[in-house]
Amino acid sequence: MEISRRNLLVGAAVAAIASNVKISVASAQEKVIRFSMPQDFTRIYTFVTAEYSQGQRDYITLINSRGGVNGYTILADVSDHGNDLPRAIEAYERAKAQGAVLIDPLSTPVARALVPRVLQDKINMITAFSGRSDAADGTVFPYVFPLSPNYWTQAALLIDFFRQKDGDLKGKKICFVHIDTPFGKEPLPILQTLSQKLGFELQTFPYTPPGNDQSAIWPQVRRARPDWVMFWGAGVGQTVALTEAIRNGLPMDRVSSSVWLSQSDMQVVGPDQAVGVMKFDPCVTGREPKVIQDILKEVVQAGKGAGPEDKIGTNYYNYGVMLAGIMVEGVRMAFEKNPDGPIDGPWLNQGLVSIKDFTLDGYMPPVTVTPEDHQGGGMGRVSRWDGKNFVPQTDWFTAYQDVVWDEIKKYSQEFAKTGK
Amino acid sequence: MFYRRAGIRHTRYQDERQLWPLPFDKGLVAVIAALLVVAPFVVEPLYLSSYLLPWIIWSTAALGLNFLMGTAGQIHLGYGAVMAIGAYTAVHLVLAGIPFEIAMLAGGVMSAAIGIVFGAAALRVKGLYLAMATLAMQYIVDFVIMHFPAISGGSLASIAVPPVTFLGVPVIGDVRTYFVALIICAMVTLFMLNVQRTSFGRALAAVREKDYAAEVIGVSTFKFKLLAFWTSSFIGGVVGAVLAVCYLRSVSPDQFHLELSIQLVAMVIVGGLGSVLGSFFGAALILFTPILLNNLIGSLASDFGLAISTDLRSHVPLMLYGALIIGFLLWEPLGLAKIYNNFRNYLLVWPFRHAQR
Repeated sequence: MEISRRNLLVGAAVAAIASNVKISVASAQEKVIRFSMPQDFTRIYTFVTAEYSQGQRDYITLINSRGGVNGYTILADVSDHGNDLPRAIEAYERAKAQGAVLIDPLSTPVARALVPRVLQDKINMITAFSGRSDAADGTVFPYVFPLSPNYWTQAALLIDFFRQKDGDLKGKKICFVHIDTPFGKEPLPILQTLSQKLGFELQTFPYTPPGNDQSAIWPQVRRARPDWVMFWGAGVGQTVALTEAIRNGLPMDRVSSSVWLSQSDMQVVGPDQAVGVMKFDPCVTGREPKVIQDILKEVVQAGKGAGPEDKIGTNYYNYGVMLAGIMVEGVRMAFEKNPDGPIDGPWLNQGLVSIKDFTLDGYMPPVTVTPEDHQGGGMGRVSRWDGKNFVPQTDWFTAYQDVVWDEIKKYSQEFAKTGK
Repeated sequence: MFYRRAGIRHTRYQDERQLWPLPFDKGLVAVIAALLVVAPFVVEPLYLSSYLLPWIIWSTAALGLNFLMGTAGQIHLGYGAVMAIGAYTAVHLVLAGIPFEIAMLAGGVMSAAIGIVFGAAALRVKGLYLAMATLAMQYIVDFVIMHFPAISGGSLASIAVPPVTFLGVPVIGDVRTYFVALIICAMVTLFMLNVQRTSFGRALAAVREKDYAAEVIGVSTFKFKLLAFWTSSFIGGVVGAVLAVCYLRSVSPDQFHLELSIQLVAMVIVGGLGSVLGSFFGAALILFTPILLNNLIGSLASDFGLAISTDLRSHVPLMLYGALIIGFLLWEPLGLAKIYNNFRNYLLVWPFRHAQR
């Protein structure tokens, strides 16, 4: 067929119409609980999303292959929103029309834009390691679920780890190197409060986004002779930060990151050079846990794996399994509370806020979600890179939750005042 | 058949200056306007809130930018920042208790005031240099918003838009937000249609074609370039406020990054520089093609059981999207509006074939 202008236009029109036929077909299915997972596979989070989503889908496949929950299978509707708001909002509205009870956009800008909608539509939104940190306050954000330690909790926990190591932080110097965006600056109020409380000196070093060039910052960090360094970024900024820290001879065993550091990052930096660097860990890394073994046996060996096998057990993959585990536990609890449904957002919400001491067979710290606390308790641990893997340095713990909750309340009350 | 036009009709300036030289055009616009008005009551909520609403908001923004790029011939790569100024001004004013109607206009005025500071650069530079100046505006505005917690909303940098009323009606739900956006869109569209017929529009056209030649014939390029920046920025500010209140419902700096500016420039160019209709076509293509392609590939993968990996499923729509834009620009560099124009020209003398080459 000749590619003429007319054919091009007709083709585009047919494609446009064909892509919209789907909606009525999918909603006719029965005994399905729909999770909507529009995430950013193509623009900013890329490999983070790919690994996280793989973990989620593998876990859901595991549950479905065992017969689902209460005879219901879970449908993970994965698509790409490319961190673009119109696309994400369209995906959300489509999910709503199709009867999704949960959405997991894994993107801070998207989560922020969806907050007013999910509160109004009563659809549960998962904002693990993204979105608004004050969404931990379930009284103000009943349908927004971080289900994981927010950035304030992560920063407070790392400071407490430094304190445990040194005995006392009085007079010590902590350098906070961060991407100069709202996300990078988020932990600052917590760090400032803790600096006054514990008597350490806080020095901050912002670098310009996206963080490809941090060569001007790290010599200053070196000259400051810090006792501890905390670096805070995501994506390319993290590997550049670590490379610069190594280049400037900072002792790796005094350097720590937030949750966003993975084996994939270490391959970029050089696994041997980064030995000693630490990170916040929300769940177990590696393939030893029972759930990962089950996935390998029942999903991957059965040829139903969602992605490359070598990614299984890496940090982001395991985060995905962790979050899918909590979501499915929410479904289980919802069936316990209301076995007859109706299966909708408020039904799942009841289940999610009833999760108590859930560890997925020791895979993660005990997660307890209540109508007040959507953070799930805020426990985690610090792990250290040994050249091959991240090795835990502490048991599961949490720290300075009073300071963190002061900050959560400050912003959630502000939202409650203006948003309703 | 439809247009019923043959022979030379317009021999007087008054005829040429008519808003709708052909009765059919008037009827077509009336039908489309009527369809848009009844749409909320016949269209599914999904299509109203995810397609029609963003389409009219982005089209209004594209009209504002098209006024500057198409009508006045000035490049602007920081239109997202202009919208950000309007959005933040309006939201802060609404939070302070100012009615939305006034806050929206104040957002426009603030955008215009800041916009012409950068627009003043247009008096000295052109082309790529002007592009750089406007790009700088984008970065400076981004920086200022992010570094002033009083503007961005503290360490979370997110401000929820409080409930507002428009002309006494609470702006809640999909239908009312749609109508607010539609009213603003209609006003901007009417302005754009009319401005090209006024001395202001003609002066801008003169400036666009050759600014020194315009100066020779007595058109003050200083005045008209500045006015073009003022007007375009004002529209941008108003649309920013509408975008925040009617669509995003909460504002954060990442919503107004460079990507938004680039997206709007793409809408203007793909739609057709200087064309009112083109802005609507361009906005539709740039906004919805990725969504529709994504859904298409998604349904191919799920409904027809094609083994497409998630990674490929995410990337294929983007590749097709890129190819489609290049295709459109290759086949019709003057934009989508020109395709419609060719079609219309063909029908003007239908069934005769005079219009064909």
